[in-house]
Amino acid sequence: MHKTLALFATVSLSAVLAGMAHAEDIKIKLSTLVDKTAPARVTNIEAAAAIMNEQFKAAGVDKHIVVETNVSAAKGWDDLALEDMKAFSVGQGPDIYVLPHEWIGKFAEDGNALPMDAKIAANPWAYADILPVLWTAAKAKDGKIYGIPQDAEIRMFFYNKDMLRKIGKDEAFIDSLPAKVEAGEFTLDDLSALSKQVVDAKVAQYGMLHRPNVGIDYLMVFQSYGVKFMDDKTGKLMFPKAEMAKALGWYERNAREGVTPADNTAMSWDAIQGAFKQEKAFIFHQGVWAVAWQLGDKMGANWPTDKDAYFHKIGWIPAPAAERGGKPANLSHPLLYTVNAKSKNADLAADLVALATLPYFNTEHDVNSYHTAISNGQTAMPKYKENWVLSAASPMMAHAQFVPNHTQFGSYNKVLFSGLQAVETGKMTAKQAVDFIADELSLQFGSDVEIRDAVSN
Amino acid sequence: MPHSNLRARRPARPLLYLLPAIGLLTIFFLGPIIVNGVIAFTDMGENLRVGKFTLLNFERILQRDARIPGVLLTTLIYVSATLFFFNVGLGALLAMATTAIPPRLGGFFRGLWLLPRMSPAVLYGILWIWIADPTPSGLLAQVTSVFGLPALNLRNDYPLFLIILANGIVGASFAMVILTSAVRSIPAHLSNAARVDGASEWGVLRHVVAPALSQPIRFITIYQALSLMTTYEYILLITGGGPVYDSTPYALYIYRRAFENGAYAYGAALALGLMVIGVVFTLVQWRITDMRSTFAAPRIEVL
Repeated sequence: MHKTLALFATVSLSAVLAGMAHAEDIKIKLSTLVDKTAPARVTNIEAAAAIMNEQFKAAGVDKHIVVETNVSAAKGWDDLALEDMKAFSVGQGPDIYVLPHEWIGKFAEDGNALPMDAKIAANPWAYADILPVLWTAAKAKDGKIYGIPQDAEIRMFFYNKDMLRKIGKDEAFIDSLPAKVEAGEFTLDDLSALSKQVVDAKVAQYGMLHRPNVGIDYLMVFQSYGVKFMDDKTGKLMFPKAEMAKALGWYERNAREGVTPADNTAMSWDAIQGAFKQEKAFIFHQGVWAVAWQLGDKMGANWPTDKDAYFHKIGWIPAPAAERGGKPANLSHPLLYTVNAKSKNADLAADLVALATLPYFNTEHDVNSYHTAISNGQTAMPKYKENWVLSAASPMMAHAQFVPNHTQFGSYNKVLFSGLQAVETGKMTAKQAVDFIADELSLQFGSDVEIRDAVSN
Repeated sequence: MPHSNLRARRPARPLLYLLPAIGLLTIFFLGPIIVNGVIAFTDMGENLRVGKFTLLNFERILQRDARIPGVLLTTLIYVSATLFFFNVGLGALLAMATTAIPPRLGGFFRGLWLLPRMSPAVLYGILWIWIADPTPSGLLAQVTSVFGLPALNLRNDYPLFLIILANGIVGASFAMVILTSAVRSIPAHLSNAARVDGASEWGVLRHVVAPALSQPIRFITIYQALSLMTTYEYILLITGGGPVYDSTPYALYIYRRAFENGAYAYGAALALGLMVIGVVFTLVQWRITDMRSTFAAPRIEVL
């Protein structure tokens, strides 16, 4: 009996003591996608928490922030958005979550994203210098801002200049390519033809590779073909059949002519990135942050890390115009730090986001993960300026567009991707795929998506 | 007197004994069915919220979803081919072959065939992806290159064939184990007598072994057909149901609609459809294969 009492006393005493030691432990849950090359999405929030903890301590406030991070292994940002929605539906949502900007509308509508306008106005020291275009990307349909830009970036086609040399192209041709693309003289079909020359000469196994899953990169090609995903006047998603058929036709031709492998969408990321790095692929279609694994010895090959040697080997272009004289297209896909509106620590979470948005922290993220700056000031910071990758990418932001901030764009894009897969694998012609996508879209969204014959009708 | 006492107590006991089973069934079987049944009549989407109760999901299945006929055809081909060629055919062949050779060797081969069943599904799936990989590192591509043949791209060009093969090879072991014990339980004197009477080995197989296998095969057919109809993990791992929907049987279609598109209510409605299909299919098979006789009390040894 005594023993039991003694044990009980010890246990309860230590529980009380432990409770006292961490009386004000405040847990902040952070959710993001696994990304080996961009750890700062997490460490910046942790560093912000460390600053606040120091200040609490200095002021004698008995509070301590503990950041608990869930780094999801979901297949992509869209799947992570679904995961987060599930967590929110059972009241287990994270306090801060990283979201691709086009999902902001959905989370705002569900009441899971904190409106940030008041915070932005109240904290100019953090937010006054953010690029206005990024604020636009963080707005929901009601015109309010629901997320804080976490990073920006630019998508492009990477091409291997050494392979062009091997098929006998001279330096003048190679050097003039970006300018020709810019001027609309070099089209998507020219790019396919060039890739075919490389493959036919057996210089590379693959002409062009793109991502294997749903995402943003391939949408650049759709934009080059004049596709618009949303009617700006009505705010409704739309599916313009004529332009879609042309864009899908390009992917179809690439697959039929052996420029793109028919099973590109079934390949693994490692196989795709490895193929480009090990110089088995002429072109790869992704974002500037892909430079993170292109430099140095990652992915099974060693590439130079200095500017001149890298650009001697690799060139960057936006998606060329569809027709001669047309405009090239570029996409940027900002990510947002979003605060859970229902979190009991929402204000504290918003404070952490504000600190993590400061130029110092964001630049740390940018220079290590090769994302572009979110504020004007950052571009003048020595560390940012010294980063030749970012300085080279900045001019490409000139005609960057965004995918629409529509609550259902994520789901729309999934359907579009299955159509892309259908034409590449040879299961459907571009025309059949257009009908398939139109049918799927109307099945899933009913009248929320307008199926049109062309953009302009 | 004690006899009647026993009788008087009896009604209370079965319930008590059955309670754990009933509890488990309610929580893990009946509960989910009811929840699923309710969700099927809602508009639950990716945010898991219920806005209203509706019949739209069923209208969508029956009238608007153009994928359904293709998915049903895929299911039919997938289930029947896997079942007949592998889960029953190959299983029976393995059982007969491994009982005809020396027991040690037979045991070794059966052990080998159980390996895929014992390995984790993810590992098994990755192995098949490697086998089917059309690049020079793939197993099949290495074999075809030895013969100077072009590389086959099974995952892209013959996805249905690939998933039948992968599921069949892992599924054959179930029939193999059951049928081995059925073959072993045939009294040796029957085949000896047949041989004495001049029966060939084929005759022994045809007239002594085969009749003993027919009842377990009926059971295996029903059981495995249901299990093939409702499982999809290897398919999800190997082809993901693609390209597009080419290797998506009904069960995977439910998964893709619910968890890839976030259309949870529609997935729930599709799942109700699968339950209906499963029940109808089982009843029909029960009739056709006369399962009643399999479960009937033996005619001898009845006291």
